[in-house]
Amino acid sequence: METDWTTLITQLIWIIFFIMIFTGANQKIQMKLWGIDIRNKLSLINKYLLEDRNKIENILRNLGVETPSVLIRRATNFFTIDPVSIEPTDIIKRMDHLIRISDKSFRNLVSLYVKNIDKYEKSLVETSLSIYAAINQVYKIIRHYLLLAEKENNWILLMQLELQMPQILKIVETYHEALDPFTKGKPIGDSAGPLVVYRLIENGKIVSKTVVEETSITELWMDNRRIYVIKAEGPGSNVGRPGHVLADLVEKLNGNVDLIITIDAALKLEGEELGEIAEGVGAAIGDPGPEKIAIERAATKYNIPLRALIIKMDFKDAIYTMKKEIFEACERAYDYTRRLIRELTPPNSTIIVAGIGNTIGVPG
Amino acid sequence: MSFNIDTIIYTLIITTIVMVIYLYMELRKKLQKPEYDTKTLLKCPKCGYQIEKNYELGEFIGMVKGKCSKCNTPMKIIAIYVVEKRQNPEKLKNT
Ligand SMILES: [Zn+2]
Repeated sequence: METDWTTLITQLIWIIFFIMIFTGANQKIQMKLWGIDIRNKLSLINKYLLEDRNKIENILRNLGVETPSVLIRRATNFFTIDPVSIEPTDIIKRMDHLIRISDKSFRNLVSLYVKNIDKYEKSLVETSLSIYAAINQVYKIIRHYLLLAEKENNWILLMQLELQMPQILKIVETYHEALDPFTKGKPIGDSAGPLVVYRLIENGKIVSKTVVEETSITELWMDNRRIYVIKAEGPGSNVGRPGHVLADLVEKLNGNVDLIITIDAALKLEGEELGEIAEGVGAAIGDPGPEKIAIERAATKYNIPLRALIIKMDFKDAIYTMKKEIFEACERAYDYTRRLIRELTPPNSTIIVAGIGNTIGVPG
Repeated sequence: MSFNIDTIIYTLIITTIVMVIYLYMELRKKLQKPEYDTKTLLKCPKCGYQIEKNYELGEFIGMVKGKCSKCNTPMKIIAIYVVEKRQNPEKLKNT
């Protein structure tokens, strides 16, 4: 008699199986599983958020802020609205204006709460707050789509979310880990450009140094050539406005510039080696547009050769403490820059070298 | 179509074991995230002697710190970077 009831069970399983396939109940189970998985990952992000929040609150309290939570709330909810793009007339101007006010307003907001603090530490606080805000934004968006998908029974949306979660989680982890260099002021991968040009400042004969809009211009002599080095003013967390400062400098020199070199960290393709150096033509700068166009316009107006040098790295490497491989690449990039200058210009030329990127941990 | 109850049980057991091994391997993969140590690289401006030390809070590139063990000139920090922590120090000692 034993064989009979095992056959029955098998038959039943098959029947249930088929009913589930035709009614879509199997998808319901899958949806539940996906929902659970996304929720788990979401709670992990929430854990990171709490950790980071505590960290920032402690830092702010040590700086004498009485109500850090109010500042954190205001700073995290701060937003900038993109300019209208269907009407392209003067979009760069409008975008530039918005970026400028956005930066300024955010800084003023922090200044309202954090008083009696030097520029260096203030820049670290500002960046830490923006990192926290970025993670918070990701958290809120994922939660939104998860709840929406469950409310509307949209399993395609849920599936997309489930498939993208590992990637999103990686980005969140990257930001979470980036809080360490930004709270301590260590150089990051993106500081590669400023570090390379800092070597020029170190090894050249300095003639003068000025600071405009948090961007430093150092005039120096090296290899019998006049070199203007442009970088964000360090060692705080600062990207400066290298494009505008470069354009103004070219105007001031009446276009008597023989070569412009921009040096920047660039995203590598998967499979490419970390710290690989490549040279090319154009403005190596990854801003939304205004800075890059300023460089291109200045170079075009006076017909100045525009060369670029990039140091390749991952997004993760770019915002985490500088890896040794990137430092070694910077040393190579420094030699490369000097060689480019000697190859492309005769003695007594005027050259502008701009180190693009966040100058955290790199002075000058 | 008749299955022996034992066959069903064996299949279930084998599937479970495979699943557990797979999950365990996935978990291990996640745990093997590289950890990093922050180092400071000091260089003597006179004789070029370089030394790598552990990073201390407050250090920055360009800071003058310590003296060269060869010529006693003050040394300068030329880099701060991270290196991957050695995975298993005990294992390395044995080999
Ligand atoms: Zn020495």
